Amino acid sequence: MNKLRLIIAREYMSIVGRKSFILMTLGMPLLIFIIGAVPMLLGYLNDKGSDVQQVSVVDETGRYGAALHSDEMYNFVIEKDLTMTNARDFYSKAEDGIDAMVIIPRDVDSTGTVDILSKGTITPALVSAVRSAIADTIESARLASMGIPNLQQMVDKAHVDVDVRSIKLSEEGEKESSTDLAMGLGLVLSLFTYMFVLMYGAMIMNSVIEEKTNRIVEVIVSSCRPFQLMLGKIIGVGLVGLTQMAIWLVLFVIVGMIAGGALGISGMGSTEAMAAAGASADTGVMDGIMKELYSINFLPIILYFILYFLGGYLLYSSLFAGLGSAVDQPSDSSQFMTPVMLIMIIALYAGMFCMENPSGPTAVWCSIIPFTSPVVMMVRLPFGVPAWQMLLSLALLFGTALGITWIAARIYRRGILHYGKKASFGDLFKWIK
Amino acid sequence: MAYLDINNVVKRYEGHTALAGVSMQVEQGCIYGLLGPNGAGKSTLIRIINRILAADEGTVLLNGKKMTDADITHIGYLPEERGLYKKMKVGDHIVYLGRLKGMTKADAVASMHWWLDRFNLKEWENKKVENLSKGMQQKVQFIGTVIHRPPLLIFDEPFSGFDPVNAEQLKVEILALRDQGSTILFSTHNMSSVEEVCQQITLLNHAQVVLTGSVAQVKQQHKKNIIAVQTPDKIEPNASLFSLLPPDPVKKDDIRIKLAEGVQVRDAIAWLNEHYRLTGFTEVLPSMNEIFIETVKSNNIEQQ
Repeated sequence: MNKLRLIIAREYMSIVGRKSFILMTLGMPLLIFIIGAVPMLLGYLNDKGSDVQQVSVVDETGRYGAALHSDEMYNFVIEKDLTMTNARDFYSKAEDGIDAMVIIPRDVDSTGTVDILSKGTITPALVSAVRSAIADTIESARLASMGIPNLQQMVDKAHVDVDVRSIKLSEEGEKESSTDLAMGLGLVLSLFTYMFVLMYGAMIMNSVIEEKTNRIVEVIVSSCRPFQLMLGKIIGVGLVGLTQMAIWLVLFVIVGMIAGGALGISGMGSTEAMAAAGASADTGVMDGIMKELYSINFLPIILYFILYFLGGYLLYSSLFAGLGSAVDQPSDSSQFMTPVMLIMIIALYAGMFCMENPSGPTAVWCSIIPFTSPVVMMVRLPFGVPAWQMLLSLALLFGTALGITWIAARIYRRGILHYGKKASFGDLFKWIK
Repeated sequence: MAYLDINNVVKRYEGHTALAGVSMQVEQGCIYGLLGPNGAGKSTLIRIINRILAADEGTVLLNGKKMTDADITHIGYLPEERGLYKKMKVGDHIVYLGRLKGMTKADAVASMHWWLDRFNLKEWENKKVENLSKGMQQKVQFIGTVIHRPPLLIFDEPFSGFDPVNAEQLKVEILALRDQGSTILFSTHNMSSVEEVCQQITLLNHAQVVLTGSVAQVKQQHKKNIIAVQTPDKIEPNASLFSLLPPDPVKKDDIRIKLAEGVQVRDAIAWLNEHYRLTGFTEVLPSMNEIFIETVKSNNIEQQ
């Protein structure tokens, strides 16, 4: 036990003390921030930097031109003298200064077709602005042409945005549950499990291979059981992972608090009306999110998440340790990595797929099969899972994880002392026996 | 009673037998040479003693008791394929190896300082292993092997990677450990070092013991009854006592004679002394290297 603790401590310190670990731990949130912020910033600069586009409007009907309202991006100018026949001619001869030309033909009511001409590129934003403005106007015109009094109001009244509340019936009575939030939570948990297992599984594999190439491994196993060394590695690297996650969580909370504070201050600085409107809208949305958050029962989710996380990590990390012991250098590891990666990717796709229907047969089976269950069950978890499926799945997961650990230990025991000829899958099976 | 008693150990792998019933007794406080060509089974036997591998048959007794996993703290093992964690600091690394062998932290630190001092590596304590020269790394490796003062030391090719100066220092340390009561099992191809330090040897070939005994005994067993004689005269052969051999390519001035069957050295010398002016004579004993090659070759022929 004492030796195991020594091995865990060494493994942990050897990774946490590395510059690359510190760089990665602090750099990753920065990278995510940059990835998220840069497109927003670029988009903002793009909008900000471009001049207002001049758009000439040729309206043969004389009714729709007014529907195109100028804004900070487009300045619509109605050209009263032009018709469809001379518009193209006029535009092609015109000096620079007109970025595009919208032509609304006389028969637009029946055809529903509008042309946009441009010497440059026509932006999708212009197309959609024109489309929605004209469509709305045509719609009201058609309604008006039916000659029914107050039809517009009647239609407005009939139009509804349906707010679907999903209510889950359970023994404790009915409670409101949120599909969107549950989906989001499931996705986050499953991605988290997938990433953790993959990242730290690869770390274990490298650590095993490094000890082999270093030739330190025979010295170490003359002082402890190979199984202790393998287990020490799995636990040590797992703790490294948890440390990294904890640091990220703390950073996330700090950044969140700073960002929240900054928003609050900027809100106060703007005009009172804006601030009031913004605040009320924000609190409305926040209330909704908070309500949804409260509707989810977090305690069991966290508990099950930890169980699946541990099971999945043990399963895959021992697999990586066993396979890593069979190769001499990292470049040889791909033949063993590929099948494991394939299973992981299948699990991730199954998880994504199951999001659509978390109680469908694929979802149920993939959340029971041990190799996919740690990822897929995370997707199902927030929606609620029958107890027997949960128990079966957990029993299978931990049974398999222990079985794989045992098999991996047998491969490891032989693999770490195997140098030279590259081991094949056949060799691995011989070593297990 | 032998300190390390290996009885009829068998180890089989898929497709071949690494050890086919090997027995060997190592007395306490001696340096015991385990010899043999590549693939003879030395490393397998050493790994079985270290409990890295399990024997299929046979027993290994340490101090009269069957070895258990707890006994590995009584062994210091320097494998042939050895290395260190490159990123660890020298001091931390040695302490880690000591603690894995069951030392307390304080003991391991004290012992580490003592040994670093002895090998003039004191200023390297807080440097990373990767900054050390190969020779210094080998010394650190050696310290890691002996830090817990084990009663049984197993060295597999200890001198590989050492320059002659450091090899000499290592030899002195090994002999000092022997004098302090450690029993040393020594596996090597370097026959001159065997003659210098080993008292007993066992020669393995094709998974079996083909020769065993004390170095002096083995040499006597393999002597060819050859005498190197120094004389200014020209010696004629005497068929009833000895025949003449071509001169040794190195010591050209010596005259080498081979005694006839059943003739004692003193009879031949008495006769020579009577008829020629002898200035000196020595009995030529085979070197361990010659014995090694001869035994392995003849054993290989038998095997075929």
